[in-house]
Amino acid sequence: MRIALVILACASLGLAQEKVLRLPIRSDGPKTLDPVRGSTQYEAQVCEQIYETLFQYSYLAETPRLEPLLLEDMPKQQGLVYRFKLKKGVRFHDDPCFPGGKGREVVAKDVFYSWKRMADDDNSPRSWWLYEETIKGFDAYRAAQNKAATFDYDAPVEGLRILNDHEFEVELNMPVYRFFYVLSMFQTAIVPREAAEKYGETFSSHAVGTGPFLLRREEDWQRTKGIVLHRNPNYRDDRFPEGGGDVRHEAAGKRIPFADRIDVTFFSKDQPMWLEWKAGNLDFVQVPAENFEEAYTKRKRTLRKEWEEQGVRSNPVPLLDFIWHCGFNMEDPVVGGYTEEKKALRQAISYAINLDQINDSFYNGINTVYDGMISPGLDGYPPDGHSPAGHRGLDLEKARALLAKAGYPEGKGLPPLEYWTQSGANGPEQTEAVQRDLAAIGVQLKTRLIDFSQLSEAVHEKRAQMFSYAWGSDYPDGENNLALFFGPNGAPGSNCFNYKNAAYDELYRQIRTMSPSPERTELYAKMRDMVLEDCPFVGSMARIRFYLNRPRLKHLRPSETYFNWFKYLDIDPDGK
Amino acid sequence: MWQYVLRKLLWNIPVYLGILLVVMLALRVNDPVWVRLGKNATQEDYDRERKDLGLDEPFLKQYGKLLWGFDLERQSWDKPGRSVGKELSQAVWPSLWIALPAFVLTTLVALGIALVAAFRRGHALDRWLMAGAVVGMSISYVVYIILGQYFGAYKLKEWTGAEIFAIQGYDTKRAFWWVHFCALPVLINVALAIGYDSRFYRAVVVEEATRDHVRTARAKGLGERRVWLRHVLRNALIPVITHVMITLPFLVAGEILVEVFFNIPGMGRTLITAILGKDFPMVQGFTAVFAAIFIITNILTDVLYALVDPRVRLS
Repeated sequence: MRIALVILACASLGLAQEKVLRLPIRSDGPKTLDPVRGSTQYEAQVCEQIYETLFQYSYLAETPRLEPLLLEDMPKQQGLVYRFKLKKGVRFHDDPCFPGGKGREVVAKDVFYSWKRMADDDNSPRSWWLYEETIKGFDAYRAAQNKAATFDYDAPVEGLRILNDHEFEVELNMPVYRFFYVLSMFQTAIVPREAAEKYGETFSSHAVGTGPFLLRREEDWQRTKGIVLHRNPNYRDDRFPEGGGDVRHEAAGKRIPFADRIDVTFFSKDQPMWLEWKAGNLDFVQVPAENFEEAYTKRKRTLRKEWEEQGVRSNPVPLLDFIWHCGFNMEDPVVGGYTEEKKALRQAISYAINLDQINDSFYNGINTVYDGMISPGLDGYPPDGHSPAGHRGLDLEKARALLAKAGYPEGKGLPPLEYWTQSGANGPEQTEAVQRDLAAIGVQLKTRLIDFSQLSEAVHEKRAQMFSYAWGSDYPDGENNLALFFGPNGAPGSNCFNYKNAAYDELYRQIRTMSPSPERTELYAKMRDMVLEDCPFVGSMARIRFYLNRPRLKHLRPSETYFNWFKYLDIDPDGK
Repeated sequence: MWQYVLRKLLWNIPVYLGILLVVMLALRVNDPVWVRLGKNATQEDYDRERKDLGLDEPFLKQYGKLLWGFDLERQSWDKPGRSVGKELSQAVWPSLWIALPAFVLTTLVALGIALVAAFRRGHALDRWLMAGAVVGMSISYVVYIILGQYFGAYKLKEWTGAEIFAIQGYDTKRAFWWVHFCALPVLINVALAIGYDSRFYRAVVVEEATRDHVRTARAKGLGERRVWLRHVLRNALIPVITHVMITLPFLVAGEILVEVFFNIPGMGRTLITAILGKDFPMVQGFTAVFAAIFIITNILTDVLYALVDPRVRLS
């Protein structure tokens, strides 16, 4: 009788069943939960649930758009000075590092402290480049403090000024538009000084942030296995966005996060992840390439009927990829250089490689093949993926004519070219395809199939004559990809082609300071075509990731540009 | 005997140092720094990282440091704040929970099959059992795992409606956790090893069963049971012990593939993650522990020989 009464009481109090999200991460998971030490998307996937940044991407926007997260509103600009205002009442997670174990309110000095941690070499920071040459006096502060006996976090930085507990100013060296994108990246998330100092090295596994979810105990993160995150009981009153369209989202205005707990499992192999999904033990999954045809029809790429009947929904997510199958070291005496003959040689190679065939054979034809380095969906991406300056194959006639123009008719006189590529996955087969394509015009390849660390080393040391590599954009702006051809970024920097073009560099300096506008887009296209004409790479491709979710998971709009969208996901307890 | 053990231990010190030297050399063939830094790294980042990791020092100095200050309290490069010892001590249990039952089960079943086959040598049963063993040996480990996971866990749930074996995972807090998470990997390991082991044991038993002293024993009128127990099985024990003892260190090392596919946080998975992540302290720590266990097991095997076979003298 008593038991029945307790059950009745619970039911009447609305003590619903715990809502648990069961999500996969396709890797061994993060290596660290310290924002300044992290850099991979696996670290982003977990850190963005625990920590928060000043900005976030708008969840319901069709194209990536920034909006305030820890800020009251977007910063006000006066010349090079930006004034930021923090939201009031944002509190850190409860943790023993605070007096009484109660998380305190976030104030302006926490922001500067968090940014300064990236300048401190003792923290082994991975992403100083995000701040480099951006904030007035910050580079000098970094150099001086790292030389000093102890790093003084209280020492002033010329461009960082606290106005009061919730307001601060940042003065930049020059208008750098990407700065706002940077402030939405998890590496710039706000951390409490008390926790970073108390836990020291172990702060990497003892995360204390302001996010909607928290790590209750260090043991909840089992390296290489999984992580359990719980809802932050003190999370501020934040609501599901209204959305900009005519139709109001069904969850608009509801308090977030919805889930009480997130059980994340790390999968370094796709088969167990796929079986767990099929068995109904995961709420969404990224469809592995080898299972693509099990879920989708190959020709139309539509979800198979039997899956649709189960209520499974498909969510294709275009990735901000720039994958090239053949990059040239522009300093190489054979394939590098900027004379008409040298250009003709690279263009000939480009015309001879059949990227569409590679896409069909190795990627189920689902990748996007395009001209240039600016990923699909971004300003500067060529209409339909085709640029008039591109030299995309397959056009063997043009390839042979250009090869003759380069001084190597039918490949005669051209020594075998060294092609460095990864040995993993289907690397050897893809290399054979490239080798076969080039053999058709008389170009011989000497392949070097090596692991990623060797490839990376060879490219950084300018030893790789030709190489296949890839770039995932750090933020949704073509500027990030155009930087790969900026002369001063030459190897070991991100310009692994060692491309040098004074006119291009001048334009890059210009667009770096511009905000989105038709003029900027025009310059992006101009720069893209300058590079395409010189042909330092054969490309490009971008992947589309297919997410499937079951009907029990609600409000899923996956993105891989940012990952703090777990807070918007809800579970239908009656759904399958 | 103790003198023998001590002498063997001393002889093995150079071997042990050699193993560590080879592993350190092998790890340093490729520079790990650029990969660890990821994209957007500069030469300045590279130089700093090399210094932080101690890779800028001459190799012999690094080796000297490893030997001089070697302890399992060294920090993992990939898991700041976590010592190598802590990582290994946590990883060893999941590995043992799978490897030990698999080892015991494989040994008992393989010995059983071997004895039946040897006893019925030349008969149809023997031929069928050995043909089965050859087929079992010929199948790749990955095939066992993929099929085991698909039919043993996923399909079984579909057929029965009950999740008897987990597709992947490891959680000791769950009821009947061992059956749920470990039984299937154990069965896969047994299926993989049983073919080779039963053929090996059969060959050993058959060889002993055809020796002169066994024939003599039979000629003297000794009962078949005594012939087998006293003359065949006892003498067959030495190769069996060798095989079993050689296998023992690998129980601690864990099974890389099964742990990766089944998401079991054991030694095998820890090792492969460390190798792929270029986490030198972890790989070196693992090697140091594994090599030590291997050497000790070898010495123990010699001691066991003497205990089992009076003809063997430790000197």
